[in-house]
Amino acid sequence: MTALRTRMAATTSAASTLKRSSWRKVSILAASLRQCWSEAASKARRWRPNLLNKIRSTGSRRAGGLFRKYATLLVALVGGALIINAIIEMYYSYGESRHALIAVQREKAQGAAAVIEQFVKEIEGQIGWATGFLPAGSGLEQRRFDFLRLLRQAPAITEVSYLDGDGREQIRVSRLAMDALASGADLSQEPKFVEAKDKKRYLSPVYFRKESEPYLTLAITGTGRGAGVTVAEVNLKFIWDVISRMQVGKAGVAYVVDERGLLIAHPDIGMVLRKTDLSQLPHVALALRKLRDVHLDVPAISQDHAGHEVLTAYASIGSLNWLVFVDLPLSEALQPIYDSFRRTIIVLALGLAFAVLAGIWLAQRMAVPIRALAEGAARIGGGDLDHRIEIQSSDEVGTLADSFNEMGGRLKESYATLEQKVTDRTLELSEALDRLRALIEVSQAINSTLELRAVLAAILAHACRLAHAGGGAIYTFDDVTEEFSLAATHGMSAELIETIRATHPRLSDSSPIGQSTLTRSVIQVADLAAEPAYPLREALLRADVRALLAVPLLREEGIIGAFMVRRRRPGTFDQTIIELMQSFASQSALAIQNARLFQEIDEKSRQLEVASQHKSQFLANMSHELRTPLNAVLGYAELMQDGLYGELAPETKQVLERIQGNGNHLLGLINDVLDLSKIEAGQLVLSVDDYSVENVVQTVVSTTEPLAAAKKLPLKVDMSKDLPVGQGDERRITQVLLNLVGNAIKFTDAGEVRIAVTAVNGVFAFAIADTGPGIPDAERDRIFQEFHQLDSSNTKKKGGTGLGLAIAKRIVELHGGRLWVESELGEGSTFRLELPIRAEERGAVA
Amino acid sequence: MTKCILIVEDQEDNRIILRRLLSKAGYDLIEAMNGEDGVALALSKRPDLILMDIQLPIVDGYEATRRIKSNAELRSIPVIAVTSYALSGDEAKARAAGCDAYVAKPFSPRQLLAKVREFLPTGG
Repeated sequence: MTALRTRMAATTSAASTLKRSSWRKVSILAASLRQCWSEAASKARRWRPNLLNKIRSTGSRRAGGLFRKYATLLVALVGGALIINAIIEMYYSYGESRHALIAVQREKAQGAAAVIEQFVKEIEGQIGWATGFLPAGSGLEQRRFDFLRLLRQAPAITEVSYLDGDGREQIRVSRLAMDALASGADLSQEPKFVEAKDKKRYLSPVYFRKESEPYLTLAITGTGRGAGVTVAEVNLKFIWDVISRMQVGKAGVAYVVDERGLLIAHPDIGMVLRKTDLSQLPHVALALRKLRDVHLDVPAISQDHAGHEVLTAYASIGSLNWLVFVDLPLSEALQPIYDSFRRTIIVLALGLAFAVLAGIWLAQRMAVPIRALAEGAARIGGGDLDHRIEIQSSDEVGTLADSFNEMGGRLKESYATLEQKVTDRTLELSEALDRLRALIEVSQAINSTLELRAVLAAILAHACRLAHAGGGAIYTFDDVTEEFSLAATHGMSAELIETIRATHPRLSDSSPIGQSTLTRSVIQVADLAAEPAYPLREALLRADVRALLAVPLLREEGIIGAFMVRRRRPGTFDQTIIELMQSFASQSALAIQNARLFQEIDEKSRQLEVASQHKSQFLANMSHELRTPLNAVLGYAELMQDGLYGELAPETKQVLERIQGNGNHLLGLINDVLDLSKIEAGQLVLSVDDYSVENVVQTVVSTTEPLAAAKKLPLKVDMSKDLPVGQGDERRITQVLLNLVGNAIKFTDAGEVRIAVTAVNGVFAFAIADTGPGIPDAERDRIFQEFHQLDSSNTKKKGGTGLGLAIAKRIVELHGGRLWVESELGEGSTFRLELPIRAEERGAVA
Repeated sequence: MTKCILIVEDQEDNRIILRRLLSKAGYDLIEAMNGEDGVALALSKRPDLILMDIQLPIVDGYEATRRIKSNAELRSIPVIAVTSYALSGDEAKARAAGCDAYVAKPFSPRQLLAKVREFLPTGG
């Protein structure tokens, strides 16, 4: 659009600059104007659908993207919050539950440990009590009585025996066997005795009686010197009962191991009977080590003997160095945690589903109006300016839609005005184009015809049409009479023309013509009726003229005339019209000036032609007048020489020869000057006809042979056979060859002169070679100039006018051939002549 | 019988030279100073040859020749044009007018005599 506007501006400014610019520029401008018009049209055609498509595609893409973006964002936000919440909750609940479980298990283990310790302590106490009062060596019966009572009081004790300080069994009371009194069995090497003596107390490893019941040997050393050792076999069924009764979940177990890791009690008695060693289980091993080293952590999760993962807790039975373990299979222990997880996950899934639905719904709610907005904007942008975006919303989107609707309305308005502007511009443009075309036509008319009347009529017709003027006139100005006279009229009645002719408008008149030329400016009369003083007012009003515009026709040298257009309705002329009329005026001035110049040139050339004719006539006359007396001189001389006037004295004969020689030289000069002047005047016309080269050469040879013979020079001819018939001016060609051969003979004193002729490539090639002195390089071109001879002192001796070669060269060129010389000093010269075999009649060439 | 030559020539010197040359060569001569007289003399005297100058008063050589050659009785008389119109095309013009031969001025008396003898081999 900018380019279009720029060119429009160029168009309007072009009119004002036209006066100065050349007409070629005008036509170029017109062409560019047309091109710009078509470009703009095609651009407009291409532009619309493209833009529409672009907007559409962008709109839909953006709307879909927006929905996805919103939906993803909402789901990510809600879902992310839910997931993080669930993870945190699960993490803490797992930790808490595990700790709780472990605490419960540890409590159970500690409870069991306390019960077992109590049990062992009671037994120990009872044994101690039973043996405490008996001094060494007291009655066996008493001891037996005490032991029986002990058995009664402590059902777990199956057998009790007393070893004296030397390790000999003094008494043994048993529930299962006969009592033995003073058996004297030496048990001093038994560990129960040795260790009991050493550590006051001895606990044996668990052993089984009847392969079913676990037993333990408990040996306690009595107080006092030489005290014996009381050994009790304790049935551990009680501990087993304690352990078995302990409810640890569904599949959990409690068990007891001794300080070596051997299983003491376990609900599965088989394992105890197999003397299972659990010291290899990681938690058992660690717990055992912890009995000695407090800086240890026993893992809460470990593996049982079957390799199942278990949650484990333990408690130590301090005095016994036993450990109570409570193991719960991990799967069972963690079941509530898993249940809690499952609930959390279900809640999470529900939350996520809700988030997705809510996200989609919200995104939909947000994207739909935006999509509507995008589509609406695309339709408005695509040119549907009546489209309105329907969004019932009071938020920013609604505001935006309102803005778009408003914009559409505004656009529609501006489109409407734009169309008006385009229409206006188009009109202006076509008017400008029309003016340009008119100017071009006028300039073409000026260039194509010298008929001034026709040119001025054409200019005037165009000017009147473009200025909407009914009529007009072009006046020429006569410098001498200072009067204007009508050179061309348009749309003027015969009466008006006659009236104007009769008034002889003058420069000094108050008429617009006189005023405009006098002031060298444009004069306009907007309403003739309002100008009472205007000359010829009545005649013009009668001719229905109301407004007029006068433009002076000026050139650098002065006033050429005036240019005038007249309108039937009053009113001023637009500036563009005035500028246009100025252009036409300058064209008219140019045409008039051209015509005058042409007239002048025409006149001059006519005079020149007459002068030339006179010159030719003069030459012809002079030629004749000079020859006639010369003819008589030469004629008389020859008659006298031939003795027609009687015998002459030898001296007289010599004088006569000199008279003849000079006469002939003068004749040659006259002929050559005549020829040359004719050539220069372009009046030498070849009389072209068929000729035989052989004949021409023969003539030349027979004419020049006497000269050669006189100098005893051989004249040789080297002529190809079957030379074609030539076409040219035979006499002139002969003249040229005579000149060349004559020169050759003239300037050669010894040797030979050779004439060679061939026909090649459509030309006759002549070569006239001599063995003369040759021509210096510097002279080679100059010898073909008029009145030039190598050595002016030679001229008299050799004769010749110095015009021969110049004439010969011109004649050859008139035939379309060429003449040149090749020469070497002291060796001789060869004049070469190329002559077209078929020379065209070239007419007069200067 | 002596052959008679009509000389049409307005220059006295030329007439003298021709008269001298041709009478010595044994021809009878009659002379005219212009074309009109030349034609009249040709009619009255019936010469055997006419030497015709071209630039002549009253009636020029071309016209005189044309008149002679258009007369059936005179047509057979050879006409040699003697002219100083040495310009290109003069010979053609002379021949077009009916001249039988052409001698350019300045003529060599010897050459002219040779040309005359082509037409009138014996002087008489």
